[in-house]
Amino acid sequence: MKSVGASLPKYDGIGHVTGTTVYVDDVPTPNGTLWAKALRSPAHRANIKRIDYTKAAALPGVHAIVTHEDIPVNTYGHLSGLGVPADEPLLAESELRYLGQPIALVVAESEAIAAEAVAAITLELEELEPLFDIRKAWDPGAPQIHQWGNWYTQFEGGLDRRQIRKGDVDAAFDRADLIVEGVYRPQAIEHVPMETQVCLVVPEPSGKLVIHSCTQAMYFSMGVVAAHLQLPLNKLKFVGGTVGGGFGGKVDTATETLCAVAARKARRPVKWRWTREEEFLVSSTRAPWHVEIADAVSKDGWILGRKMLTLHDSGAYARFSPYGLTKHSFHHTGAYTIPNLRFDGYVVFSNRVPTTAMRGFGVTSVSYSTEIHLQRIAHELKIDPYEIRLKNANRIGDTTGNGVVITDPSTVSTIQMVAEAAGDELKGDYRTMTSAMRTGDLLPEHLVGQLGNPEDH
Amino acid sequence: MTRHTGRGLSAIEYPTGMNQNGDPSQAWVKLKPDGRVDVFAGTVDIGQGSKTVHTQIVADTLGVPFDWVTMDVSNTDSSAVCTGTFASRGTFIGGNAVRFAAARAKERILAIAGDMLEIDPADLEIEDGEVRAIGAPQKKLSVSDVAGAATWQYGELITGTGAALKPFATLDPQTGRVELPPHSAISYAACVAEVEVDDQTGNVRCTKLIQCYDVGRAINPALVEGQIEGGAMQGLGLGLLEECYPYYPSTEHRGSDFNSYHVPSLVDLPEVTSLIIENPSADGPFGAKAIGEMANNAQPCAIANAIYDAIGVWVTEAPATPERVLRALERKAAGEDGPRRDGKRVVFDGHLSVNAVAAPGAAIRFPLED
Amino acid sequence: MRITVNGTAHELASAPLTPLLHVLREELHITSPKAGCQQGSCGTCTVIVDGEARRSCLLPVAAVDGAHITTLEGIGTPDALSPLQAAFLEKAAAQCGFCTPGFVTAATALLAENATPSRGEIREALSGHYCRCTGYVKILEAVEAVAGRAL
Repeated sequence: MKSVGASLPKYDGIGHVTGTTVYVDDVPTPNGTLWAKALRSPAHRANIKRIDYTKAAALPGVHAIVTHEDIPVNTYGHLSGLGVPADEPLLAESELRYLGQPIALVVAESEAIAAEAVAAITLELEELEPLFDIRKAWDPGAPQIHQWGNWYTQFEGGLDRRQIRKGDVDAAFDRADLIVEGVYRPQAIEHVPMETQVCLVVPEPSGKLVIHSCTQAMYFSMGVVAAHLQLPLNKLKFVGGTVGGGFGGKVDTATETLCAVAARKARRPVKWRWTREEEFLVSSTRAPWHVEIADAVSKDGWILGRKMLTLHDSGAYARFSPYGLTKHSFHHTGAYTIPNLRFDGYVVFSNRVPTTAMRGFGVTSVSYSTEIHLQRIAHELKIDPYEIRLKNANRIGDTTGNGVVITDPSTVSTIQMVAEAAGDELKGDYRTMTSAMRTGDLLPEHLVGQLGNPEDH
Repeated sequence: MTRHTGRGLSAIEYPTGMNQNGDPSQAWVKLKPDGRVDVFAGTVDIGQGSKTVHTQIVADTLGVPFDWVTMDVSNTDSSAVCTGTFASRGTFIGGNAVRFAAARAKERILAIAGDMLEIDPADLEIEDGEVRAIGAPQKKLSVSDVAGAATWQYGELITGTGAALKPFATLDPQTGRVELPPHSAISYAACVAEVEVDDQTGNVRCTKLIQCYDVGRAINPALVEGQIEGGAMQGLGLGLLEECYPYYPSTEHRGSDFNSYHVPSLVDLPEVTSLIIENPSADGPFGAKAIGEMANNAQPCAIANAIYDAIGVWVTEAPATPERVLRALERKAAGEDGPRRDGKRVVFDGHLSVNAVAAPGAAIRFPLED
Repeated sequence: MRITVNGTAHELASAPLTPLLHVLREELHITSPKAGCQQGSCGTCTVIVDGEARRSCLLPVAAVDGAHITTLEGIGTPDALSPLQAAFLEKAAAQCGFCTPGFVTAATALLAENATPSRGEIREALSGHYCRCTGYVKILEAVEAVAGRAL
């Protein structure tokens, strides 16, 4: 019997429906386990003038207070493998850049004692003017909030922005019957996994750390811990693979590294579980995006060219945002073929919680912006919304914004199928069209130069 | 108070695998002496069901029943590298890793069975846990017997390793051009949303979502539907309910609980229709493409377009909360909502543009010139 | 204090104001009720107290002294699934599974009280439970599949 194609019940489903699946918070804690709580920044942007841990450290039941001085490599870039340099300290040193930024981790015999100790830490700050509106990052006199300036400057080739250039966009705009411009601003949202961030680190006598983790990416997270702690991989064992929802937020390795440092310092198992308040207020979010589009269109509904400017609100540090913006740029034409393009995108810093990967990373904002924009164009031209999409749809042999030949598109068939299910009858050629390579009458002049040979790929 | 209904359309695409590639997944497979199969991989199941899907891929690649296969993704000591469960890479890249590993193990099963049956391994196939001569199915051995013989007579552990890695696609920073596809496949989807808008309260209710996804091959259709339906509700949240900063860019009034941050619940559930197209990819496992992430991309825009259809205002800041809808209706009533027309230019949302918000002298303008 | 959980009586050592959730998870090591929010909002900690679905995270154990409590472990076991558990499995109504204990206990309590709830009544009864993975479609289908059948 073939199993591919069958709706077999989930492998781990019996555990889930009987409450016997063991998530990280369900792993029995060894005797002597300590509990962690973080001291977090109470300011959006500030310099630390003084921290006094004396009272906290003296509380009965407090075993260790971890600060940046305990971390062999405090600032490690999670995307250093992709050429994104490091900018974010694991624990703040002298500067605070967002409300909730971790400064120290207290480990104690209970969560209550750890929380009491955190409250007993004296923190003196010099508050600084924060930057929240990424559109004002370039303003003369804008607060300068990041060591690289207010936006990411480390793209390949020394560029401070991600660019796509294709065709002759100015000629397309000259030729256009209409130029439609619009601004789109999808908001930051929370991942809201039902299981909050949680981690248990158990040191073994050999010095190996066993890390019970809810990460979405055990090897990636293990690499992050190894880099911060400067440990070979045989000194780390991630135990996981059972996750109570992630949606991108559990790629951050939010708890594992600090727990590992604390476990080594205290020589005891350490568990850290975030409250729902922490999950809402200080865990990373989906980024807010600011997208401006100008499309050059012909009166019969062809999109001849697109100019686009994207500002990606990265929050206080770069984290995964340069990757997300690059992905955004690669897909900024959506499910359509547009021959002439000028895209510019910036990763802009602000004094909010760093933003991170979330389901649809980089492309959710493209879909939102370009699909409303296309509807506006259809409305301006008085063209049926199905027809304008089918007309400009990706077809076999078309090329993407960065020159990739499209081999198996389904813009046409998916649109036709929802039209049918919605009871909307498509007219004439649109009902029968396919994704076949454009030829003859179906190949308008402005797309002639677009075709690549799918056989070459 | 009037309730207005409207309908909106969207079409989207989404890549499989990390952008620009370079993200390995690896796996290894071993057979127990009775032919039961252990698979070790690092691919975390975050609920989407990758353990189930990978088990199905291994079972069919080897030709053994699903329940012969045990998938272990529990730790980094016994499992091989997986870059992670993100970038819609689990079914395709993780799936290829287990597929390649199973194919290697199958070669060893066939080699030993060929020796036992005195038949060229190329003339053998495996189905339902039996090695059979192609065209002469009476000549057969169970995989259990082959694994037993490997253990007790041949002195071999039947095993196989697999690694899926597409090379990093370098880009030209000036143009963004890449030399090879920066993804493993592209999936497509379209969505029709229906809404009901209350013009007094500004409340928008999404009543229907009709969605079609090309997933290449639905290895487990129920789990694919689970992605589509789950994504639909996250997309509904994006479009109508959820926001960390209600007065973005201000950080004021950030919600810290489920009463102040609105996650979609059962009361928000519209009628959801999920349609699947199977337009196979060239090199995914059994033709599969990704489905996971894209599932929340098609709804927010379709909902915004439906709102325009219902009440004639464009809400282009998501989510379309009652406050944003009412403010848009106020602008419309004041005659301030329409685009500025300037020759052949039609300029919407001028007040939101960097051109309006950035200070004079700021080095940011739209459109940017080279 | 004394509570009966899934048919077994326990004398408790926890302080009277300890939330029932903590008593179940930490003193009795019954881990199906989850600490999803500890704000009384998400529903993952739901258990059945004397026939009624209650959120255990904000419920002081003293308030349920003497009560009979059923958690998901007490509804059915891997070898003997309740019809509702079997429906959740067959309909793929559990993805990550973290919210499943709350949904199954709440729906079990609903069906015990009203064996044939309408779709609207099911939605109402489960509307205070969040699931971030499934989009609720298959959860609703699983409960409807069992509604009207013997539990």
